[in-house]
Amino acid sequence: MKYLEDFIVGQVMDYPPRTVSEEEIIAFARDYDPQPFHLDKEAAKQSLFGGLCASGWHTAGLMMRILVDNMIGQSASMGSPGVDQLRWVKPVFPGDTLHLRGEVVEARVSQSKPDRGVITSRYEMRNQKGETVLTMQAKGMYARRPV
Amino acid sequence: MQYYEDIEIGASRDFGSRTFTEAEIIAFARQFDPQPFHVDPEAARKTAFGGLIASGWHTAAVVMRLLVDSAIDLEAGLGSPGFDDLAWLKPVRPGDTIRGRMTCIDKTPSRSRPGIGSARFMVEAINQKDELVMRFTSIGIMRFRNPAQT
Repeated sequence: MKYLEDFIVGQVMDYPPRTVSEEEIIAFARDYDPQPFHLDKEAAKQSLFGGLCASGWHTAGLMMRILVDNMIGQSASMGSPGVDQLRWVKPVFPGDTLHLRGEVVEARVSQSKPDRGVITSRYEMRNQKGETVLTMQAKGMYARRPV
Repeated sequence: MQYYEDIEIGASRDFGSRTFTEAEIIAFARQFDPQPFHVDPEAARKTAFGGLIASGWHTAAVVMRLLVDSAIDLEAGLGSPGFDDLAWLKPVRPGDTIRGRMTCIDKTPSRSRPGIGSARFMVEAINQKDELVMRFTSIGIMRFRNPAQT
């Protein structure tokens, strides 16, 4: 179990890759982001993106899943207060394989609730060509190791 | 998000509402955020949240859907480079009804691409008790209605 104390500033972690399919992109977009460039291959060709691409919220969801499967799920996570900044740098296309890297940039104990603290991390997601598709700085709340 | 010329700095608008069901909360979380307090009502009771709550990413995705359905003009909108300062302020629970509100903070014409501009909006999600549950600053890119004037 990973507690607040186990996050060290400067720590870098590479996560297992995840490939995204056209079916998944369209299914997510139907439910949450039905804009033509996320839903319709022909319409997407006419758009600035040049082809069908994933909703940015879908890419964010895939990133969250990678984090839960490989880190948060084995941690004393207490949820997240929020995201400082997120940028969709390049479109994610069907068949793209996403590689996520995270780095701990700040760790602090809560002043009002000393049994927990907040970790600030920076994330970068790259595609199979090494291009950055997403960057994020986000916060997570974790319990301290019980004494 | 309308055409660039239609966007008025400081103007607020409401954009639709949606009620979260337990089934949807669990379905989204199974796919994207399978933490116990998002997928398992029993386990969730024992956590600090005291019961099942929606993934914050689910709340954000639902707000996106509300924006697409009632605020973004699909002819004018050209996507978004990202957002800043997203805060999940209160949990969203099964049965909660969330409505959206957006307020334009500023707008700027593109220097490199005539006929295109960007605007920043404060986007807020508010529950049925009028509590702010989520907030972020969104950046939108949009076309001008009359590109010749840029």
